[in-house]
Amino acid sequence: MRLVAYLLPRIAAALITLFGVSLLVFLSLRLLPGGYADILLGPFVTPEARAIIAQRYGLDQPLAVQYLRWTGAMLGGDFGVSMVTQRPVIAEFLRRAPVTLQLALIALGVALAVGYPLGVLSGVRAGARRKKRDFGRVVGAMGASVPDFVLGSVLIFVFSVWSLWFRVGGYVPFTTDPVGNIRSMLLPGLTLSVFGVALILRTTRDAVLRVMTEPHVTTAVARGASPGTIIRHHILRNAAIPVVTVTATYFGFLLGGAVIVEVLFSIPGVGLYTFNGLLNRDYAIVQAGVLLAAVVFITINMLADILYALIDPRVGAVR
Amino acid sequence: MPRLSRPSLSALALMAGMGLALPAAADSVITWGKPAEITGFDVHVAGTVASWEMYQMVYETLLTTDDQLTLQPGLAVAWEEESPTRFVFTLRDGAAFPNGRPVSAEDVIGSLERIRNPEIASYWAHQLGEIVAMEVLEDGRLAVELARPHASFLPALAHITAAIIPVEEYHAGDFDPASQLMGSGPFMVDAHDQDERWTLVRNPHYGIDSLPRADRIDVQIIPDESARMAALRDGRIDFTTFENPDAPQMLGSVASIAYAPIQTTNYYRFDVNALSEDSPFHDIRVRQAMNLALDRDAINMLVFNGTSAPDYPVPAAFGNDACRDLDTYALPRAERLDRARALLAEAGQPNPQVELMASSANEVLVRIAQVTQQSLGEAGFDVQIAAVPTAEYLQRVFTDGDFDFSASWLAGYTDPGMVIQWWDPNFAIWNLAFQAEVPELSAVLAELRGLPDSTERDAALIEACEMIDDGANLLALVSKVDYVVYRADQIEVTLAERTGSTNIWQHIAEFAPAE
Repeated sequence: MRLVAYLLPRIAAALITLFGVSLLVFLSLRLLPGGYADILLGPFVTPEARAIIAQRYGLDQPLAVQYLRWTGAMLGGDFGVSMVTQRPVIAEFLRRAPVTLQLALIALGVALAVGYPLGVLSGVRAGARRKKRDFGRVVGAMGASVPDFVLGSVLIFVFSVWSLWFRVGGYVPFTTDPVGNIRSMLLPGLTLSVFGVALILRTTRDAVLRVMTEPHVTTAVARGASPGTIIRHHILRNAAIPVVTVTATYFGFLLGGAVIVEVLFSIPGVGLYTFNGLLNRDYAIVQAGVLLAAVVFITINMLADILYALIDPRVGAVR
Repeated sequence: MPRLSRPSLSALALMAGMGLALPAAADSVITWGKPAEITGFDVHVAGTVASWEMYQMVYETLLTTDDQLTLQPGLAVAWEEESPTRFVFTLRDGAAFPNGRPVSAEDVIGSLERIRNPEIASYWAHQLGEIVAMEVLEDGRLAVELARPHASFLPALAHITAAIIPVEEYHAGDFDPASQLMGSGPFMVDAHDQDERWTLVRNPHYGIDSLPRADRIDVQIIPDESARMAALRDGRIDFTTFENPDAPQMLGSVASIAYAPIQTTNYYRFDVNALSEDSPFHDIRVRQAMNLALDRDAINMLVFNGTSAPDYPVPAAFGNDACRDLDTYALPRAERLDRARALLAEAGQPNPQVELMASSANEVLVRIAQVTQQSLGEAGFDVQIAAVPTAEYLQRVFTDGDFDFSASWLAGYTDPGMVIQWWDPNFAIWNLAFQAEVPELSAVLAELRGLPDSTERDAALIEACEMIDDGANLLALVSKVDYVVYRADQIEVTLAERTGSTNIWQHIAEFAPAE
């Protein structure tokens, strides 16, 4: 019951957020210069042709009518059709979701596997000699400073000249060719993970440092508990909440479509689909893409909220 | 091969390699690395090369052209010009759509009617001239009657936008041109994952013996240039194209990769805004100064490594020298710069600030802009470069006229009489937002529309060139070369030396896996 009371305001906030996102993406797209008629006809677009195409896709209606039609259809599960292919966009998103999910899991896996232990190590060794202490900070700073489009471009250049087993582009589904799939997904996954490594490392390090100065840790040290026991029982659990928060945020970001990396490596996930939809001014794709990304993001954050309450019962009680 | 330094990656590779089940190699499959996805399915509507290239796999036109840009049979094995306004076509026996139904005269007439239908919004209607009647004749023949002589009528039929669709199925609702491709060409669509891949399989009713040679074309959409290079290197794709001349050279170290520059009638161009009072180019003297100060040779050398050449309103690929003696091309650069500076001084704008816009999607255009920024600076221009998304570029240039000048490229098609018409904005339509109408020029161009290839037409072209150059409103820069790169050890290709309708894959039916 306490959990329900804890979640209800969050669900209400999520619905309001989704409404805001839908309005924002709908209006932003209409404000962008250029439309699908320009893309389809190129320079040959005339006012008459533009009017015909606008009528064909209902874009000649007042904005309020268009918005209400879109949201009304969406509540019924109809996210619209692509102007390029005339196919339902939701089917395309569902087809591409596993690709983005795989990419996200690779990136998250690497980020957690590298960032979390390094963060803990960096935190508990904060008082150690300078070289050991600074290693985590250097990795964190580097990871956070290199934009993924820069890192991705460098990797593409290097691995397109020297393959070194990896594959640049040429995605194939895992079920068709498992090795080919891994060869094509590792580079984008690693590219995406670098920021995640830095994020999780720094967050973990800061959380560990904060917890280490708390009285219960001092008491445990005074009691003569071993360092391993102190870290496992007194530090990691108490330092977990901020780590869960950033991990959830990062995972939500990845699932929303790691657009730049998918575009760079030609990975046919939801990010690439949404990006091409934006270039083509294919409104239904972009609207659905942004809204679905928001839903995923909000859902994951809500799951993280639930996880807080499970990790630390005081969370639910206090709020 | 260099050793992987990360044990974890090696282990992962080993694990992944266990139980590897590669798909069985199919016979007669070729793989095309396509740089861009189509922008729409409707062959009569889409105005982009990315779309045309795919349509050329599936559809046929009544006529085609050879390396000399001379008209050749397509779906029509013969054509007769009974009078300057009446043409009779004989259709190829055996040509059929994938469902087995033979292509009929009704399909041709219905397709041309559809192009002319204003509700379809096809930009090609103008190029066909004014068709007043079409009739089905016996023995697979049909006649088309024009209101007045239109020299570009036959060449316009060789462009893929004049493709013949299955009209019977269209009217019956069994074929939707807005969401399907269905033609009598060598291939038909078997599968399509948007922005990812196409699978094309042979049209079993193509009707030309032993063609197509390949059973299937796997098409991978790979927009990134480096990714296409990598795919060529490791043999995942058999052939592709590049606009950037550096790409084929970067692949030059791989012995099995061959490279073929294809000459086209297309050329890079600048659209100059003569109509906006906010632009310095509203003053014709500033436009003329810019035209004189342009360094086309520098664009060729610095952007294209000398593989292109300065081009003219009447494309050099036609072998017609109508525009070659203009001062813009013939005078030494130092003299042109002096004249440019004098014109700017006369206009009271010795250092005009102008914005050069280009679509960020085309890296070559941005490079052209950079070279131009330098060369125009020598005459006193202060050029700012704006690389913007394609949709924004299209709207600002062709609809709003909200720009100073922009970089793009122009399709030269298959006849000088077609491309030159773009300088009449009321005929071209697409440049109404920035092109000033010059009544004398429009009159010459109208005359040209009715003139067949002759000395009289050459004289009219020279006259038009002078007026075009004087207006400096739409400027030819350098020829657009298409760079086809393929794996010579994996595929046998047949390529035209020169193309006129952006139909670089016109011999696709003859492509086959290497023996």
